[in-house]
Amino acid sequence: MSPKIVPWAVVAATLAGAAWFAAAMTVGGDRSALLIGETTDAHHQIELACETCHAAPAFASAAKAEKALNRACRKCHDKELKAADDSHPRRKFRNPRMAVYWEKLDARLCTTCHVEHRPEIVRASAVTVAMDFCVACHSEGDQDVRAERPSHAGLAFDTCASAGCHNYHDNRALYEEFLVRHAGEPWLADAPAHELSARQRVRKRPARAALARGDAVAPRAALADPAWLDRWADSGHAAAGVNCGACHAPKAGKNATRETVEASWIEAPGTAVCEDCHRPQARTFVLGRHGMRRHPRVAKPRDPLRQLRKIGLSEFVPETVALWLADPAPPTTMTVAEARIPMRSDAAHGTLDCGTCHTPHAVDVRHAAAEACASCHDDPHTRAYFASPHHALWRAELAGEAPPGTGVSCATCHMPKTERRGRIATDHNQNDNLRPNEKMIRPVCLDCHGLGFSLNALADGALVERNFTGTPAVRVESIGWATRRAQATKREAGG
Amino acid sequence: MLTFAEEILLLLGDEEGVFLPVEEHAFECALAGAVLMDLAFAYRIDTDLEKLVAIDPAPTGNPMLDRVLEKIVARTDTTDTRTWVGVLSREDAAVLREQALESLAGRGVLERRDGRFLWAFGAVRYPALDDGAVRTIKARIEDVLSDDIPHPRDVALISLVDACEILPDLFPDRDVAAFGPRIALLRRMDLIGREVAGTIADIQRTVVREARARAARFQKLLLVLSAFGGLGVAATLLSPPIPLADRFGPGLFESLWYDGVWKQWSGYLLLGLSVAGLGVATIVKKRLVARIAGSHGWRLFHIVLGIACVLVLFAHTGFRFGANMNAALMAFFVAALLSGALAGAAIGGTPRLRKMGIRKTGRQNRLLIGLHAVAICPLPALLIVHLLSVYLY
Repeated sequence: MSPKIVPWAVVAATLAGAAWFAAAMTVGGDRSALLIGETTDAHHQIELACETCHAAPAFASAAKAEKALNRACRKCHDKELKAADDSHPRRKFRNPRMAVYWEKLDARLCTTCHVEHRPEIVRASAVTVAMDFCVACHSEGDQDVRAERPSHAGLAFDTCASAGCHNYHDNRALYEEFLVRHAGEPWLADAPAHELSARQRVRKRPARAALARGDAVAPRAALADPAWLDRWADSGHAAAGVNCGACHAPKAGKNATRETVEASWIEAPGTAVCEDCHRPQARTFVLGRHGMRRHPRVAKPRDPLRQLRKIGLSEFVPETVALWLADPAPPTTMTVAEARIPMRSDAAHGTLDCGTCHTPHAVDVRHAAAEACASCHDDPHTRAYFASPHHALWRAELAGEAPPGTGVSCATCHMPKTERRGRIATDHNQNDNLRPNEKMIRPVCLDCHGLGFSLNALADGALVERNFTGTPAVRVESIGWATRRAQATKREAGG
Repeated sequence: MLTFAEEILLLLGDEEGVFLPVEEHAFECALAGAVLMDLAFAYRIDTDLEKLVAIDPAPTGNPMLDRVLEKIVARTDTTDTRTWVGVLSREDAAVLREQALESLAGRGVLERRDGRFLWAFGAVRYPALDDGAVRTIKARIEDVLSDDIPHPRDVALISLVDACEILPDLFPDRDVAAFGPRIALLRRMDLIGREVAGTIADIQRTVVREARARAARFQKLLLVLSAFGGLGVAATLLSPPIPLADRFGPGLFESLWYDGVWKQWSGYLLLGLSVAGLGVATIVKKRLVARIAGSHGWRLFHIVLGIACVLVLFAHTGFRFGANMNAALMAFFVAALLSGALAGAAIGGTPRLRKMGIRKTGRQNRLLIGLHAVAICPLPALLIVHLLSVYLY
């Protein structure tokens, strides 16, 4: 190649690249090369649906863009913050009387503490400011925590959230009154059991008759495999009277015959079939990390024709070219390989939908509650589970050697049971109580353990890694301090 | 007959019209000396220890020589040879060069070709139409450097070639170090007519001395600045990102790297410096900067702009390369800065390299400047994407 061509080739290549990226930004196309940095936690699953967060119009002012970003945060996270009885709700800081704090730490905006695409400044819990941020408001004036609490006199502000005492948002198990109320509890309850789990395990089955192997209604070819048939016959579906057609031929209706089932038979039904019956589970599944790609708030792929109309180029670009510029179809499920936490390499190609944990023909919630998790997750906490006291309890319950609800599986803690309108269901938003781990105390830990033990155990990182095999080496002082302060207040009031 | 200036330019050009990357201070001194020598051979000027004066104001018939002669005649104060070499090399070298090239083109020795680089930047080349003239000049020099009895004009020409330090490029297959004693001997030989002998010898001495002194000063400064810039680029490449403070509160770095307003200031400053650097190197170098900052101020100014870019880049990124498109932009920008620093260091370090026995540096210097240009080519497109991504998202 002539040396004279080199600058031209470089300029032509970069102009073509720039045009491609300009089209990707304004019309449609793969935008992964435009990502300026990794997103926090599980947001990487939706980071190419840019409009989910970047909802402001193009060339909007910085203030409008920031406002739109924060609105996007609230759209997805407001409910959980509300459920957590957020200690620092936005509404509190919108009050003009709090203006003095806006300059220090503008708590009206999520993006003050949580900035995306800046992996180099991400700290625990996706916080992107220094972890002693409490100092901004609680080190002087009325809000000075050391003024009323001598116990806090020598404490550094970076220990507020790291010592098991406080969280910025969720303090449901950490506030003073709660600590005092649960002070002195034994490490283990007299009859430790998860009440909702126990109630669910002994609940009565629906009145419909359980189905047996011979009741299966399906095309002959499908019935030819005895192994599948056996698995179905032993499954919860058969026990609940759910025949093959319910999933493989939903259009055939309830009183389907072999002919009608055969006519509308679907070989591999999608998750929509599961969602038809298991609505609470499906609703919560998309709120968690496993299913967040199908979260209702995630932006849909852009319509290139509409985008071209917006920038006034629809008349100049042929429709076929516009359609070629369309956003790549977003995957509806995450593969195990995409996870950014330690996972098993042999599970890399697995996708995350209902069938990943609940093998379709052997719907076994016992498998889904523990073994299914370990078939993908490969971190020390997961590996240690199978040698832990919790797993021993789980095995005892499965073997019928212990009462229902006494076993502790992965799902017991991470997908706890919830009760709504008298119906008990498993919360499939597995990160609802994941972090900070004190969120787990009220819905899970306190079923069996005292608050003091729970706080100590959850604050002991090494113990968590060993999946609670052993005793806590960390002692969280908050209960003692709260109790002494309450006693002192009582004495003052009495005297 | 060709003038010395025309002969020097013929020696410097190749068949494509590309000139040897000769040290420009030396070349300009040689060009000034060449014109003075021609005037001396034409019995128009005379020198002594203190002054250079016009002894015959009658025009020579050569516009280039007459222009300088008019200037000498017009000057009334006492001015020595050294001052005239300095004045002509600073103020008139570009014009003398153009006049000599046009003269050669008018005689059919060279051809003027107007072209453009990337459509945006003008570029004029003078490829040789007949390389016979060049071969003749080279043969004269080669003969004189052997044992032939030299012609007085050849002795003068050799002193100009020596001042430009282009003997290694003219005779790449010869051991030019061996020519040293012969050149020294030629300088001492009384081969020129008694009337002009003193003048020519004075001009020869002055040209060589001035060329080397000014080149040395400039190259030293160029080397120091380039090394400084290169260190900055090395720090950008090798230093880990500066960690942020673990204490809450306003910090300079936090503001610089994470505050949108500051980021825009540093970003646009970087853009402005880059555009200024590009402008200085392409458009302005032959026009404005030559007048306001001396004939070589543009190169030093270009490197100072490069150093400023390194500093502002640190303020903009904190040694963070970013990811994907941003990383590509950063990589090309740093490559442009690094190749620029290396080219500056190579040009500035030429005398030192020659002392170390590394003589053929012209091709390498040209390669580094080429790399510098290639690394710059993608930057406008990448910057557009970078800016669009900032304001669209």
